[in-house]
Amino acid sequence: MKFRKILSVLLVALMAVSVMIVPALAVDPYTTYSYDAWDNALPSQAGYEVINTVNGDDIGLWQLSDPTSEFYISENEPSTLSDSKDFFLSPNKEFYIADTGNNRIVKTDLDFNLLACYKYFPGSTSKHTVVDESGNEIEVDADELKSPYGVFVDEDDVIYIADRDNQRVVKCVEETKTSARILNEYYRPETPLYESVSFYCTKVVVDAAKNVYVICPAVNKGAIMFSDSGSFVGYYGANRVEVTAEVIRNKLWRKIASEQQIASLTKSTPVEYANFDIDKEGFIYTVTEVANASTDAVKKMNPAGYNILERTADNNEFGDQVSATYNGTTYATRLTDIAVSDDGFINILDYTTGRVFQYDERCNLLLIFGFDQEEQRGGFNNPNALETYGNNVYVLDGRNNDITTFGLTEFGQYVHDAIQLHNRGFYEEAYDLWQEVLKRDGGYYMALVGTAKALYNQDDYEGAMKYSKLSFYADEYDKAFEASRQETLRDNFTLYVIIIFLLVILYFVVKYLQKKGKIPKKLIATACGKVVDACKNAAVSVVDKIKKGGKGK
Amino acid sequence: MIYDMKPWQWVTHVIFHPTEGFEDMRWKKAGSLKISFFIVFLLFASQVFSTRYGGFAYNTRAYSDVFNIMPILVQSVAYYGTWVVSNWSICTLFDGEGNMRRVAIYTAYSLVPFIIGNTLSTALSYFLTLDESIWYNAISMIGLWWSVILMVFAMKACHQYSFTMTFVSMISTVAGMVLILCLLALIMSLFQQVYVFFATIYTEILYRFRS
Repeated sequence: MKFRKILSVLLVALMAVSVMIVPALAVDPYTTYSYDAWDNALPSQAGYEVINTVNGDDIGLWQLSDPTSEFYISENEPSTLSDSKDFFLSPNKEFYIADTGNNRIVKTDLDFNLLACYKYFPGSTSKHTVVDESGNEIEVDADELKSPYGVFVDEDDVIYIADRDNQRVVKCVEETKTSARILNEYYRPETPLYESVSFYCTKVVVDAAKNVYVICPAVNKGAIMFSDSGSFVGYYGANRVEVTAEVIRNKLWRKIASEQQIASLTKSTPVEYANFDIDKEGFIYTVTEVANASTDAVKKMNPAGYNILERTADNNEFGDQVSATYNGTTYATRLTDIAVSDDGFINILDYTTGRVFQYDERCNLLLIFGFDQEEQRGGFNNPNALETYGNNVYVLDGRNNDITTFGLTEFGQYVHDAIQLHNRGFYEEAYDLWQEVLKRDGGYYMALVGTAKALYNQDDYEGAMKYSKLSFYADEYDKAFEASRQETLRDNFTLYVIIIFLLVILYFVVKYLQKKGKIPKKLIATACGKVVDACKNAAVSVVDKIKKGGKGK
Repeated sequence: MIYDMKPWQWVTHVIFHPTEGFEDMRWKKAGSLKISFFIVFLLFASQVFSTRYGGFAYNTRAYSDVFNIMPILVQSVAYYGTWVVSNWSICTLFDGEGNMRRVAIYTAYSLVPFIIGNTLSTALSYFLTLDESIWYNAISMIGLWWSVILMVFAMKACHQYSFTMTFVSMISTVAGMVLILCLLALIMSLFQQVYVFFATIYTEILYRFRS
């Protein structure tokens, strides 16, 4: 009896301990999802989680108004970011933040500690006038920026700034902690090819040959391309016109309408792209911000301006393909920024929902994270820009005036490792990782595809057929099916030959006997009749049973 | 040849003797309406079979969970019915000899190769890879065109037309089918609105009485 008592006390203690362990389970703070083969949103595991959020104070911008500091600019220099539009991670691992509202460029290290803040830009050689939005000619205040929208830094720490309201691109290098010396300026191209009056540049990218690519939202012929010396080279990689019903109708009208009528028709023009990024191999990636654009939403362009994703991508739909309407406002995907990591992952920022969509180099959707509840960490109000370093993803919010760092979770790490092996063709090596992914999210599309390919390579054709069915991948299924069919044929070849041989012999014997009159037609008829009778009886009995069952109830 | 065949033997006879089969059938006043309706049911069944079954690579849609029987019902039974009605009404105007019963029977009999081709190719798709899709396509195409040829001769024999007249009547039959289906859709939407109107009045009265 005593033994029993001790046992029961022990059991109770054990139970208490186990109950105390349970709450230690981590719960994701956000609902995350991914898309399956039918483009249905499925609940999924979080691939990224927020590591931290930094605002102007955390960066150390208070030092700008502290006279004792080396970063001192003036007494009333604001210590927060203001409507910041862009930031950039330089090849030397330093962040450059275009602080648009405060007309300055903030430079920090990877942990967002202040390194410099450029407010003054001496060295401008030319007095220049530009035409502003209301048509007045104004003189550029050449020594300062006026709402810088974009920033780019090359490996020699030469800074390129899209100085929007001064309508110029500035090329400069650091001089002191608060100023940068201008090396060159790129103004509105004085050529008939450039039709727009203004030059409101918003984004800038520079390639290895120091060609400068500039986006102006008013120009839809592509990015404006300058040589290093500042001369206009041409346009780069324009989008195509999205084919809609209206475009087709206009095209038909053009064939039959008179010239006056044609003049009154609206021109079908392509949409300009909103932002771009350049990867370490020199390919330029662009995104188009128009709601639910399906043509050229995301492009990867070679130096000639051709979109190579047309050939290499498995998928050409980006962002959420559905739009939602609340209180009369329609919310549709607006892709505002793109950032390509060193591993080739393509991250796309959706301005509307504040979500980041991560794709692999073949544009397969990997992870979706972030959302638009700005009160919560990891939620965004005006997500303006996106950057990546290693596995981290940084999002700049222009309303909250802060930068959020996302880090990979265990799930995201498995996905990344697996997809990298998968895309290099190491399907079998990726198998275990895909299994780990499937343990955490059984509906994860790429894991099903990866498992199917791995099983096919391991000669498990039945398994490959099962998983390619689950991932709705007809071509992969067909490959596995062909192999499995061949295998069964090879294994049972003698059996099949014997069966066919026997059937042929049987046919000839029956024919021969029929000819001799050994099997009268009546016999065949009675045999058939018996089979029919048996079927009839079976059917009747089944019907009776159903009837009885119905009455019994 | 002796033409004392059982009703179902007429079906095979007609299929394998397209040029004279239907003439024989007309001469002997053979052909059964029961068998015709059974064939139409088989047409419906084979359509269901080919949409819901088949090898995965050939028919991925069959493996999604959404299945609506209405389009298939329209594509088989409704098309057959409108064809018969439209053909009869047009050929009556064009001095055709066939009555509606005969149109129904001859049309149904000539559908058999299509049904067989459809079912066979679907069954075969379980054993074929995409590279061998030529067999799949060949069988369904042979079934389809065999049925088309049978249909031409069936209509020719049914109404005792020349070839040109047969083609003209068949094309106008298709036009008539489109017309009938359009009118049907119109009537249905109209009745829908009438129904909604009366339903609204009913609920309105109900509310008045209650309050």
